[in-house]
Amino acid sequence: MIVKVNNLVKRYKELIALDHFNMEVEEGEIIGLLGPNGCGKTTAINCILSLLSFDKGEIEVFGKKMTPNSYDIKQQIGLVPQEVSVFDNLTVRENIDYFCGLYVDNNNLRKQYVDEAIEFVGLKDFIKFYPKKLSGGLKRRLNIACGIAHKPKLIFLDEPTVAVDAQSRNFILNGIKKLNKEGSTIIYTTHYLEEVEMLCKRIIIMDNGKDLVSGTKEELKAMITTSEKIVVGFSTVQDEVVEKMKNIPHVIDIEKDGEDYIIKFENGFNNLTNLLDFIKKKDLTYTKLHSQLPTLNDVFLELTGKELRD
Amino acid sequence: MTVYKYFIKIALRNKWAILSYTIVFFVLSIINGSSPTRGETSFVEAKLDIGIIDNSNSQLSNSLKDYLRDKNHIVDVGQDEESIKEQIFLEAADAIIVIPKDFDEKVINKEKSVEVYRDDRKVESIQIETQLNKFFVFLNATYKDGKFDLDGISTALNEKIHVELIKDGGKARNYHISEWFRFYFNFTGYVIIATYIAVMGLVMADFTDYNIENRRKISSKKFLKFNSEIYLGQLSLASIITLIFILGSIVLRGKYIGEVNFGIYIVNTMVFSFSILCLTFLINNITRNKFVINALSTVLSLGTAFISGVMVPQQFLGKKVLTIAKFFPTYYFVRVNDMQANSFSDIRYEFFMQLLFAIAFLFTGLYFSKTAQKV
Repeated sequence: MIVKVNNLVKRYKELIALDHFNMEVEEGEIIGLLGPNGCGKTTAINCILSLLSFDKGEIEVFGKKMTPNSYDIKQQIGLVPQEVSVFDNLTVRENIDYFCGLYVDNNNLRKQYVDEAIEFVGLKDFIKFYPKKLSGGLKRRLNIACGIAHKPKLIFLDEPTVAVDAQSRNFILNGIKKLNKEGSTIIYTTHYLEEVEMLCKRIIIMDNGKDLVSGTKEELKAMITTSEKIVVGFSTVQDEVVEKMKNIPHVIDIEKDGEDYIIKFENGFNNLTNLLDFIKKKDLTYTKLHSQLPTLNDVFLELTGKELRD
Repeated sequence: MTVYKYFIKIALRNKWAILSYTIVFFVLSIINGSSPTRGETSFVEAKLDIGIIDNSNSQLSNSLKDYLRDKNHIVDVGQDEESIKEQIFLEAADAIIVIPKDFDEKVINKEKSVEVYRDDRKVESIQIETQLNKFFVFLNATYKDGKFDLDGISTALNEKIHVELIKDGGKARNYHISEWFRFYFNFTGYVIIATYIAVMGLVMADFTDYNIENRRKISSKKFLKFNSEIYLGQLSLASIITLIFILGSIVLRGKYIGEVNFGIYIVNTMVFSFSILCLTFLINNITRNKFVINALSTVLSLGTAFISGVMVPQQFLGKKVLTIAKFFPTYYFVRVNDMQANSFSDIRYEFFMQLLFAIAFLFTGLYFSKTAQKV
């Protein structure tokens, strides 16, 4: 176990930021901390890293109790903060060199690490640029390079893709996979479902400072017990027919998604058969008909009664 | 030494803040040095425009009026106090003397015999006080058996004094040189405050930025080692800036350094520099807001320079202003430069006070630093 968090409580006066939060991270995995903005993801990370004090609980990193003076543990940790945290007055290369220098004293080794980090984030053509001259995506890459240049075994990535273009986002996500392949354990916080689905082996869903549930994405989706979604597309259909579809047994709701309709049924019944009977009876021609797998958003909805992006 | 290296690098990227002050300072010093030596070669007693209000109209008061009329131009003035003040304000008269009804009695009793309204804006108006003092000293000297020897006084007062300025053996030039050094080092104090707070403040604001500071906190760099490198950087930068100004004085007036107490100027500048470095340390531990730092740099440098006697000599400043100035090290720095002391023992109090400020700033800064480091 690389990280073990047990019953962590963090309060800001009346506000409970972390409410008996638990987390376990195995070596070599990418674990996703998923939850809406303000649910306590960053607070949890800051407590683990001893950037914040906490009211109750235990934190162990690499099998040792984490404190502000645990320099031997910190040597193996890298942080990519949510905000781009670099010096405006230093160039790309100088920034990476400075932050790498906080861990690596040997000049030759540091130079090698800095070169590798620049290569890794694809900023070779921008090494003499000041951050102000970089686009949002390139700044994010620089932010990552500053956090990983010293080759940490455990990397915390706090929403590293916020406000970046699709190209940079893919670049960053592929980079994270590569880091993991090279042996780093990664704790990844985000509120983007697709990123978690794409990257993480295990996911912890958070809300209101609590860890609601954790497991692989398959395990989490299997927890869905209340609904089943069927997507159907018609060549032509009248509104009153759609309205009548609501009378099919066990239908909970019908949503229009472009030209298609997503029909939400109660789980555990012959819903597809019932829908086909209705189509036959109304003499409708369908162009599309398939069952939709539950998403992590559905899991979140079922757990909290609200959408992840509410 | 990565932290030290990048501290200096970022500081040098703010070089325009240092250069702008330095260039303006040296230009002013060169202009000040190129002005001709102000040495007096002749003495002329000036006649003032004075008004006399004689409420006594005695023989004695007429004698005083005759004496003053001989020495000055008499102008017509009003009778009441408000009108007198108005005349002075409008520069219609340099001074107005009011002789009271009981003038003779007051003279005999050696009380304050006349009321003098003087235009303080004119240095020469002090002359009227000298003339009056002279008259009354002579008058009292001739008082015998309840009478004054007014003829004798008149003769004595009409004796002309021949004033001849003898050669000063280069004292005027020495005065000019020491004035130049005084001006130069006093203004160095102003530039030191402005550049230290502005440049080091801005660099430290970068290093103590919340997110960058967090990156440092989670790193394996020990806090003590990080701070040591930062302080070494600050000390190096302060030394470079101080050295520029010390060398500047040598470049501009190097051949005269033997004629002034140059050693005292140097030590005083270094002590003051250390004190301001500690003040900068305190400010950096209180705020990381660049706007506040810039504002403090301007307000503290200009404000303390003005109230401590950099812009206007301390002898022309009011008591209240000087009392406030005593709460800043600049006051003691300027006092040392103004004193032209012969030995270090003459100025040990001023050095002690500057060092005391340094220690106070340092410890208060450390307190805020510790508070900020608490997780």
